[in-house]
Amino acid sequence: MSTFSPADTLPPPSSPTTVAARAVHASKVYGSGESAVRALDDVTVEFATGAFTAIMGPSGSGKSTLMHCSAGLDNLTSGSVFIGDVELGKLSEKALTQLRRDRVGFVFQAFNLVPTLNAYENITLPMALAGRDPDKAWLDQVVKTVGLSDRLKHRPSELSGGQQQRVAVARALAGRPDIIFADEPTGNLDSRTGAEILDFMRRAVREFGQTIVMVTHDPMAASYSDRVVFLVDGKVVDQMAEPTAERVLDRIKVLGG
Amino acid sequence: MLRLSWKNLRAHKRRLIGTSLSVIIGIAFLSGTFVFTDTLNKVFDDLFADVFEHTDAYVRSSNEIETGFGFTQRGRIPEETVALVAAVPGVREAVPDVTGFARIIGKDGDAVGQDFGPPTFGSSIVESSLQPWEVVEGRYPSGPDEMVMDKGSFDNGDFTLGDRARVNSQGGLREFTIVGVVRFGDADSPGGATFALFDLPTAQEFVGQPGQIDAVLVGGDGQSQEELAASIRETLNDPSIEVLTGQEITEENQSDVEEGLSFFNILLLVFAGIALFVSVFIIYNTFSIIVAQRQRETALLRAIGASRRQVVGSLLLESVFIGVIASLIGLLVGVALSQVLKTGLDAAGIDLPSGDLVILPRTVIVAIIVGVVVTVVASVSPAFQASRVPPVAAMRDVAVEHFGFSRRRLLVGLGITAIGIVGVAVGLAGEPSVLGLGIPLVFIGVFVLGPLISRPVARFVGAPLPKIKGITGTLARENAMRNPKRTARTAAALMVGVALVAGISVLASSIKSSIRDIFDQQFTGDFVISTQSFGFGGLSPELADRVNALPEVAAATGVRIGTALINGDAEALSVIDPTTAGQVFDLDMQAGSIEDLTDEGILISRDTAEDEELEVGSTLRLQMIDGAERTVTVQGVYGDDDLAGPFTISKGLWAQSGADQFDFSIYILTAPGVSDDEARAAIQPLADEYPAADLESRSEYIDSQASQIDTFVNLVYGLLALAVIIAVVGIANTLSLSVYERTRELGLIRAVGGSRRQVRGTIRWESVITALLGAVQGIVIGILLGYAVIVALRDEGLESFSVPVGALLVVVILAFVCGVVAAIRPARRAARMNVLAAIAHE
Repeated sequence: MSTFSPADTLPPPSSPTTVAARAVHASKVYGSGESAVRALDDVTVEFATGAFTAIMGPSGSGKSTLMHCSAGLDNLTSGSVFIGDVELGKLSEKALTQLRRDRVGFVFQAFNLVPTLNAYENITLPMALAGRDPDKAWLDQVVKTVGLSDRLKHRPSELSGGQQQRVAVARALAGRPDIIFADEPTGNLDSRTGAEILDFMRRAVREFGQTIVMVTHDPMAASYSDRVVFLVDGKVVDQMAEPTAERVLDRIKVLGG
Repeated sequence: MLRLSWKNLRAHKRRLIGTSLSVIIGIAFLSGTFVFTDTLNKVFDDLFADVFEHTDAYVRSSNEIETGFGFTQRGRIPEETVALVAAVPGVREAVPDVTGFARIIGKDGDAVGQDFGPPTFGSSIVESSLQPWEVVEGRYPSGPDEMVMDKGSFDNGDFTLGDRARVNSQGGLREFTIVGVVRFGDADSPGGATFALFDLPTAQEFVGQPGQIDAVLVGGDGQSQEELAASIRETLNDPSIEVLTGQEITEENQSDVEEGLSFFNILLLVFAGIALFVSVFIIYNTFSIIVAQRQRETALLRAIGASRRQVVGSLLLESVFIGVIASLIGLLVGVALSQVLKTGLDAAGIDLPSGDLVILPRTVIVAIIVGVVVTVVASVSPAFQASRVPPVAAMRDVAVEHFGFSRRRLLVGLGITAIGIVGVAVGLAGEPSVLGLGIPLVFIGVFVLGPLISRPVARFVGAPLPKIKGITGTLARENAMRNPKRTARTAAALMVGVALVAGISVLASSIKSSIRDIFDQQFTGDFVISTQSFGFGGLSPELADRVNALPEVAAATGVRIGTALINGDAEALSVIDPTTAGQVFDLDMQAGSIEDLTDEGILISRDTAEDEELEVGSTLRLQMIDGAERTVTVQGVYGDDDLAGPFTISKGLWAQSGADQFDFSIYILTAPGVSDDEARAAIQPLADEYPAADLESRSEYIDSQASQIDTFVNLVYGLLALAVIIAVVGIANTLSLSVYERTRELGLIRAVGGSRRQVRGTIRWESVITALLGAVQGIVIGILLGYAVIVALRDEGLESFSVPVGALLVVVILAFVCGVVAAIRPARRAARMNVLAAIAHE
């Protein structure tokens, strides 16, 4: 796959090869001088629209940094990241906040929900922050898909870990963002509950055409994606389409994960 | 453990500052009060020691009548006493002294000195080492046309030597030539008082009484003061004259000042106490939160073998450190404050004799002990809370404080509140010292109940927020409700200040409306001339006569205040002019009439008649400050005693006492057919001739009488601001700790698109809800306290109960502002938080 597509050669928007987000020569250095750590080293990668992409790599490979930078939570030392056609590095703090609110969805590993708000309020939080009314029909569909219809009035403390993550996924989906970033979304769950969440995410991609980028170190989780990007020492070292758990595991062994 | 406490403190410097700030403010006020009053005491001690430095004995009348409220009157002695004293062997010098009220009028036509300010004196001056005065310009006065004055008045009145100055006294309004300027020790005008000084005959005639003097200052020729005083006493052999040693008169003056200052001192200390009481709530709250946040750390300590005692000890030690450091800082701030206050007084024209600040060991010791005790007492319960953390909690996630309905809390809270209410009731029933125990107990009881009521009240107070502020409002309200203990404790600090403000405003408003009712009923005239002086001096008696002579005026009657021993008890008297008083006052006469009061008679109130079983025709023994005992007959009984008090006599009788004769007010009824404007046009020019005489219409006068209480109430509000400031510090402190605790949650909100403004708003509105919670509780308690006081004072003539809705609304608005202010820093910190750091997992 080419690392950079000129605009005139881009396929029509509905095509699965449209790019939802991309990083171009992205580098991120923490600290300076002797103690400098290069978390991202000239990374160029694209996340296709309507695809479920997994980013894998060992601890310290820079996978979380890549996600944070792509999502506008952190900024690069050099290079650039885009969501659609918008270059994040050029945005003000305020515009970045707005972009996150309106065009990006998040699912974190833990502490995904605001403890004082109930499930419904958590799901609609980004819209409430934007002062927008949620799309009722869409919301119903999302809620039904993740199976939370009878849990909407519950506070996070009254929900199981799996239910909490489902609320988080629903929140990410509810605003129909251009792209959802998920950071080890199943890291805190047992494998059965984790599989459920991953299944929801895959269905969101298949059925609703949602774009999802997920950071994980679990080959099983990665097997739900359409494509895996392998990161080692801040560099993209390999990619794999149509992954299975076994193939991912084999690749990791080779790469020294 | 010692090292751990110290390390904990150093690791959380910011929290340390937040916690100690409330103690620092309280201790600063406490030590500032001590330093300032000690300094004033020292200054006046030195002053009187200087004044009487060469006085070995002091001769004066032994007739003295004291009737509370600082009303003391003393008789005069015959001038011949001076010669008798001078003839006593061992007496080197005997100097007469006459002192009365006089007010100097500046070149601009306004009286020198402030209304309600330090007293204004007229006095005699004789060239002698026994006099405190030193002529710094010109010479001593001599003859009825000359005066000297203190340098302060001389400068303020913009005079030059040789000027003619007008002076007002009971002898009327007169002009003198200024022939000299004097200083009092090293003060231009002692304590801001003004002095007009004359030669002896002029002083006697103008501010005292011809042939009479107030005292004789005696200088001896070397024998002891006691021997000298004894031989003067023996020679005079007159029970109506007393002889003091120089030492005694010095100490008497010093202790008078000390007594006067001690009222001031106690008032300030009460407010320092309130501030520190509020601090206890805040420190308690802060420590509780810290303990909750440190739960894992504590559990880890316990898991690796720390005993419960060590956990408690470590926290208490931490609080001792905080207490000591905060007290020391507070002490320094207090010393600085009293210097500022002293400088401020100088600038305001209240010239204090110079002197350094007095920092007694007592001040340092009390400041540190109180500071440490306050801090440690507040942290005892949280420390024990911490020791109950099970070691296994180290393995769990950080737990927030849990709270559920607790029957025990309800019972304990209600119990303490009930004891407090009983304390208040007993206190109001005549044991005021119990009030100081009852009121804090009510607060503590409500404090204990707080967590039970804070959730519903916060829900109620915050109800409109989600509609107005959307998700920001919802989050704020939920945050205020999520931890009822914390919210309640934080609000409690503000509750105390607000309750006292509300209670006092209810009281003030009720007193005002009572005053209005009283004047409405009992004063039937149209105008009043009054003067602003605290019972010392007043309006020249000739003014009432001149107003009365106006054709536009039907009656003008001057009213004086006197004191006398009646059947042996000191009593305050109203002194009236029977020929006119009945036309402007309606005292609801039960028997006799005001017009028929003679110089041999007395009018008494119905209550007095009933209590003492007196009726018209009964006789009373009356002794005024001339020492003579008279028998007076009850000539009438009146029903309304709110203005007149228990006893009323004629000015003819009062004049026989030899006391100073001043009207404190003149009440005026216009003649039939004369409009208010015409009457005012006629009276105003007369009033203008007398300094400090204010002509007011009936309604203006009633307004100003009712608002007299405002000065005091505003002072109290000002002092309570201290408690409110500490409460604001407390709210800010709690919010900071909450923000720290909610780092990840706030990070999440920012990650999913919450703007900095929205995060700030969430914190701000939570703060406002907390503040309003405190305000609502405080206002309820305040109104109830105010009501209790009024019920207790019903017998004293306080018959109205009035809730000042406007003032209480202002309190609510101020609480709102307090919430906004308290949130400024925590909200800014929350908004500035690094999103990535907040959401990154451990």
